[in-house]
Amino acid sequence: MIVVEELHKSFKRPGARSFRLPFGIGKPASSVADERVIAVNSVSFTADDGRITGLLGPNGAGKSTTLRMLATLIRPERGSARVDGHDVTQDVLAVRQHLGFMPHNAGIYPRLSARENIHYYARLCGLDKRRAEQRVGQLIEQLDMGKFADRRATGFSQGQKTKVALARALAHQPQTIMLDEPTNGLDVMATRGLREIIRQLASDGHCIVFSSHIMQEVAALCDHIAIISDGCIAMQDSLQGILQRTGEEDLEDAFVKATRELSTETDR
Amino acid sequence: MSLFIVMIKEIVDNLRDRQTVFYALLFGPILLPLLLGGSLVASFKQLSIDFDEVTTLSVQHAQRAPRLMEFLHSQNIDVIDAPEDVQNSVRRGDVLAVLEIPEDFAEQLRQGRPAPLTLHVNSADKESSKAARRVQAILSVYERTLNNLRLQHRGIDPTIFDSLNLVENDVSSDGSNGQLLASILPFLFIMSMVMGGFYLAIDTTAGERERQSLEPLLSLPLKRSAVVFGKYGATLCFVTLSCLLTAISIYTLFHLFPVELMGGQIRFDGRTLVRAFLLASPLLPFISALLITVSAVTRSTKEAQTYLGLMMMFPMAPFFLLQFLSVKSTTLTMPIPMLSQYQLLESAVLGDSIPLMHIALSATGTLAAAGLLLMLASRLYQREGLLD
Repeated sequence: MIVVEELHKSFKRPGARSFRLPFGIGKPASSVADERVIAVNSVSFTADDGRITGLLGPNGAGKSTTLRMLATLIRPERGSARVDGHDVTQDVLAVRQHLGFMPHNAGIYPRLSARENIHYYARLCGLDKRRAEQRVGQLIEQLDMGKFADRRATGFSQGQKTKVALARALAHQPQTIMLDEPTNGLDVMATRGLREIIRQLASDGHCIVFSSHIMQEVAALCDHIAIISDGCIAMQDSLQGILQRTGEEDLEDAFVKATRELSTETDR
Repeated sequence: MSLFIVMIKEIVDNLRDRQTVFYALLFGPILLPLLLGGSLVASFKQLSIDFDEVTTLSVQHAQRAPRLMEFLHSQNIDVIDAPEDVQNSVRRGDVLAVLEIPEDFAEQLRQGRPAPLTLHVNSADKESSKAARRVQAILSVYERTLNNLRLQHRGIDPTIFDSLNLVENDVSSDGSNGQLLASILPFLFIMSMVMGGFYLAIDTTAGERERQSLEPLLSLPLKRSAVVFGKYGATLCFVTLSCLLTAISIYTLFHLFPVELMGGQIRFDGRTLVRAFLLASPLLPFISALLITVSAVTRSTKEAQTYLGLMMMFPMAPFFLLQFLSVKSTTLTMPIPMLSQYQLLESAVLGDSIPLMHIALSATGTLAAAGLLLMLASRLYQREGLLD
């Protein structure tokens, strides 16, 4: 389970001076805000166990940054977030132990086989050799990877890479699983296969956070949707709830309406 | 524990990479010593004369000087008949040199007068002049024996003619050559260390960022320091292995083709190499740390190669510095990594005694620098910009 409250994160603008020259040499920046980009302004949402929570937003809305903060890769500046009751800034290792994170690039090792890739992660998560081998075998069966499990990852299709990356994220049997745009670059069949796996994981009681910018995808898969735009949550509810609240018929129109409402609200 | 898992994975992963293996296990340890050491051995083989080696010499009219032929034989020279056209066959290189014994040789000798001998040689040909020098050296020994006999015959002590006993001790050209030779060992050692860890360090840091496998790795329940030190450990293994192999290949090279370097003053025997390896060993953690730290700053393998390529100047700098300026080994130079190892290894090769103080200073300075670099690498891995 993930509980996020008013997370905020900004980054140094690329090319901004990281140090000032003495005696006022060079053009001074007019304010601190000029030098920083706000990636996540104020994000709050809850993702329950046994449910698939979709983080829906356009590119650059702050989805990946939010997930990175939850994965303890970067520290939030303000706000708080708890993963299965562990604070992401205080209890870093406990959070990582409870969390399986699959970033938007598979990032698997091309010179290792699928099996070795997963085994490496299982071992790093603290499983001993025998248990790691057992777990890897289990995952290979669960994700139907038998055909390519012992081939080196160079030349894997995007679908195969995604499966390996997902298996790696599941290696330590985390309660909470975060997937950052997992269907990117997958064909129809691979996408369907992945959806099945995700549904299965949710029905096993895992908490799943799924980020995407594709409406149909989120509509087809998620029990709960958080619409994120410009670093803020515009609306969050079930698909039915969002459609009712916006009075629209499909998610795309509802999405546009929700984000427009948010921007007029912030303008005011 | 996770440190070792990271380390073993990086070693296995990189052993499957041809480029890494080529540079770590072939280029540094085998090709470079062969190239430098091999040409050195070859040039010495060409210039130096082995008087124990049995060789043949063409002699024209050997029957005119039977005693001389016996003497030549006793000096490991087998006499064979000269070809018909002496001058042209020497010029063409059919025979290296021909000793011609004129008709009046025996007669002149008997009467106590200078006996004529002609040595045909082609001075444009290195092999020919080498053969001629050997014959000349043997003949001068023979001449001295004859002189002594003649003097003793007349009741004169032969040593009366040896008014000077000159021993040449060349310190100029040969001396600097010696230093060049002696600095080849530290050069090869340091180069092999750098080459050994070069690609592994790049692949495990910048390469990991480039193929975007760092983000999932860092989200695992392990400390970032375990990741850094695991990668460092893998680099250290490759660096050490590469340097060890270099020591072995240098030993094998000079063992198979023994050469006298500077009258036996410079040795590349087992004892010297073990001593040199031990003296150079503080560089193993230092160079590994340097490689990891520099490539940790970079975002891509290409960027890392650029920076580390520039860094390759470091192992070469002391080599040239010491060639052109004579920097004495002092307590001031000893704490400087690389420079001190150059000086210590040179002394080891030249068989000089090394003050314990110098060894201690060199090791402390180098290890402290390695520690600082590692701390820096560890800090670099904590920053958020790492994932950009």
